Amino acid sequence: MAPPTDTLVDPATVALLLADGRLPTGGHVSSAGLEPALRGGMPAESIREWMIGRATTVSLTEAGTAVVAAHLARRSPGQNTTAAGLDAVTAAWAARTPSPVQRRLSRQLGRGYVRLATAVWAAAVGDTMNPRGPQPPRSVVLGVIAAAAGIEAASLVRLVVYEEAQAAASAALKLEPQDPLLVAGFVLDACAAAEPHVAAVAACRRPEEIPAASTPQSEGWTQAHSLLTERLFRA
Amino acid sequence: MPDSPSRSLRLGIAGPVGVGKSSLIATLCRALGDELALGVITNDIYTDEDARFLRSAGVLAPERIRAVETGACPHTAIRDDVTANLLAVEDLEQDFAPLDLVLIESGGDNLTATFSPALVDAQLFVLDVAGGGDVARKGGPGIARADLLIVNKTDLAPHVGVDVSAMVADARTARAGAPVIALSRHDPHSVAQLRAWVLALVDRHRSGDHTPIDPGPMAPHSHAHDDDHDHDAHHEHPHDADDHHDHG
Repeated sequence: MAPPTDTLVDPATVALLLADGRLPTGGHVSSAGLEPALRGGMPAESIREWMIGRATTVSLTEAGTAVVAAHLARRSPGQNTTAAGLDAVTAAWAARTPSPVQRRLSRQLGRGYVRLATAVWAAAVGDTMNPRGPQPPRSVVLGVIAAAAGIEAASLVRLVVYEEAQAAASAALKLEPQDPLLVAGFVLDACAAAEPHVAAVAACRRPEEIPAASTPQSEGWTQAHSLLTERLFRA
Repeated sequence: MPDSPSRSLRLGIAGPVGVGKSSLIATLCRALGDELALGVITNDIYTDEDARFLRSAGVLAPERIRAVETGACPHTAIRDDVTANLLAVEDLEQDFAPLDLVLIESGGDNLTATFSPALVDAQLFVLDVAGGGDVARKGGPGIARADLLIVNKTDLAPHVGVDVSAMVADARTARAGAPVIALSRHDPHSVAQLRAWVLALVDRHRSGDHTPIDPGPMAPHSHAHDDDHDHDAHHEHPHDADDHHDHG
């Protein structure tokens, strides 16, 4: 499964792979919070503004988590010292993610990424992740992969923001169908709104520097959504 | 990928909407629950309806029945990206170790969705007589190449004007002799046949003699009578004369 060692894949190409919704890591079960919002009563006309809101709050927390995890993994690839450091990143992320449902989903998605990392970057990822430690969310695993693949911090921030926006956009077409090209524009609007924050988030080095941007309304919607008996997405 | 025959046998149950997949799982649980440790994963389009049906049927402890959300893509969840299902199976196997058999119900989708061997060791494809006697003849990857084809609800045949033996004969032809069971949960003989088939499969899985096969990807259309049909532009297949030919 490992790529030939004499072939170097450009980090930008790896970032494209990770941002691709067709990557088989279980992402299609997530609407990145959109289904909970719509079922909670948010009007469909607000999807664009809601996506911008997410890109400048929760997505930046996820992005900062990935950046700090990547920084730790880069400093000591494959060593046990990293595992304790990553556990601290996971703890910092959990403290900034108040919804238990959201935490469970992120950890589930993290497991999908661990499968990918184990298959493709086995040598670089090695035993970085502590099998007995707290289950890392997707953002932490993504950081470890980014370190292995050489993706730099600013690209990693943009990758996380884009991936969340695109997940919501794909879900929007299933939940509140409208012109798909219009929704593609929403993705770019969300990414543009996050752009002024990219440098600051990319500069995070320690867990306590991860942005704490909670969105209580969305978290409430996510909790309520998990109790519905009819839903298309995990959250 | 299936890693070791020491873990449970993972058996997929696919087939169109309304053919009785959930009811078949309930039947399997009743028939096998005394001798095998079972778990069930359901994939609904709208989440947990099937899981709730099975829990309320009382055929298995409720915590052994879990629902997986599919993001409105039930075919993706069993084929292109099996991650969510695979994690659910692994969790179930870990929480109730050792399990002998995990049944994974696909979200009722269409005639062409089949399970990837990355998720299941074997799969049943389910049709029912009420869907029409000609469905089995129309073929498709699941009908032709699933490990077992079930023609379900045979007790309804007189009410819907379907000749079960003809439908089963069509199915056997479409499957080149691979197994077909005409099933009604009210017919103990047919349930015994199904039970024996599953137990034999579990034995083969345990002894390492079972090799998972892929029934094949979704097909844009199928031809009933010509397996070697050439899809190139130059084919000489007499389309106009072939009334049985089906574009689905």
